[in-house]
Amino acid sequence: MLLVLAAEHRAHLGCVPRAGGAGGAAGRGNRAEPGRGCSCVCSLSVLTAFGELGRLALEQLRRGAAPRACETAARKLNIDVDIIQHGVEGLVYLLTESSKLMASTPFHKEISEVDFQDSIHVLGFSDELKKSLLQLYLDNRKEIRSILGELTPRLPSYHSLEWRLDVQLASRSLRQQIKPAVTMKLYLNQNEDQTSQVLQTDPATLLHLIQQLEQALGEMRMNHCRRIVRNMK
Amino acid sequence: QRFRFCGDLDCPDWVLAEISTLAKISSVKLKLICAQVLRDLLGEAIEYDKILKLTSDAKLESGDVKATIAVLSFILSSAAKHNVDSESLSSELQQLGLPKAEHASGLCRSYEEKQSPLQDRLRACSLRLSQLGSVRWRVDYTLSSSELQEVNEPVVHLTFNVRDREQEKVTAVPVTLSANKFWVLLAGEVPGGVAAETSV
Repeated sequence: MLLVLAAEHRAHLGCVPRAGGAGGAAGRGNRAEPGRGCSCVCSLSVLTAFGELGRLALEQLRRGAAPRACETAARKLNIDVDIIQHGVEGLVYLLTESSKLMASTPFHKEISEVDFQDSIHVLGFSDELKKSLLQLYLDNRKEIRSILGELTPRLPSYHSLEWRLDVQLASRSLRQQIKPAVTMKLYLNQNEDQTSQVLQTDPATLLHLIQQLEQALGEMRMNHCRRIVRNMK
Repeated sequence: QRFRFCGDLDCPDWVLAEISTLAKISSVKLKLICAQVLRDLLGEAIEYDKILKLTSDAKLESGDVKATIAVLSFILSSAAKHNVDSESLSSELQQLGLPKAEHASGLCRSYEEKQSPLQDRLRACSLRLSQLGSVRWRVDYTLSSSELQEVNEPVVHLTFNVRDREQEKVTAVPVTLSANKFWVLLAGEVPGGVAAETSV
């Protein structure tokens, strides 16, 4: 599956080699002559700039945006903060989209690598840059997928249940009764909050509830579910 | 096979698995770790460093140390929950594979010492929705009001302080009653009516 990069994203990612080029030019100082090996100097600084941007992109994925880190990087590489910012955002988008869409299984590893290389071909990077980009993607793909997996919305989930069995012997209106009741407090976790629900029922309803839940569990052992579970593994 | 300390049910698999870890610790150290676990169950702070020092000779990994604390917590609190006496607990632990001479008897002796406080603490921790903290009262005598010049009626003010277990909050519920209503509250019906049955 190919990634389609919008024009804006391509412009952001296009900042990356420009960043390297600008850094290289400033680094070379006032030497007017087009130095020997100037092309390798250029590509080396592009690679360091790219390494820096890659690191910033991964930090942003793990911990959220860090404008101060971008500023320090901008000062170190001698480039505009905006170019760094756009480059980082472009890289973040590229990495999340590729991790999201191009899962790898043992059979599809080559396909997803080829897809990635085809997708970034349109950016017109140099070969070393393309290789480092691919390496960055492959190294961090699993981690990015686990981070993306945690971003799904969550329903309240079970935390614990406290219960109590009481017997009502008498009340103001009626003496000499026997009325058993089960009181439960259900603790639920939702997004790091804990809520609780108090429920009360008589034993007959509780037994019915247990029977319904066991029927639901029993459904897993039916042929239909078994077939699906076997095909998912 | 059913165990009394598990509530007449099968023993959980993880407890069976960790009994062998318990056997690795010397019995003296096991008794000291039991003392720490009992402190935690009774609500005092547990001293994890001491436990780490005690388990260091048995060369347990950190996962094993936590498993030891978990299995001791389970055994002690479950035995207290089902009111198991210490001899039955000892024989059941031996059935599970804990060596008798030192380990099981040491554990059960620690349990026996603290069985009552443990059960009291578990009783206090049981589910309770709200609890009456205290009641304050005041009786006033109304002389007159804007409606009637001579009222001459007593009025009772009550404040119920209700404690909520979870939020540790105390809510005050104020109630104001006339004398007749207060008699109804105390006696359960209008004075001069049929007396309530007292047999249960």
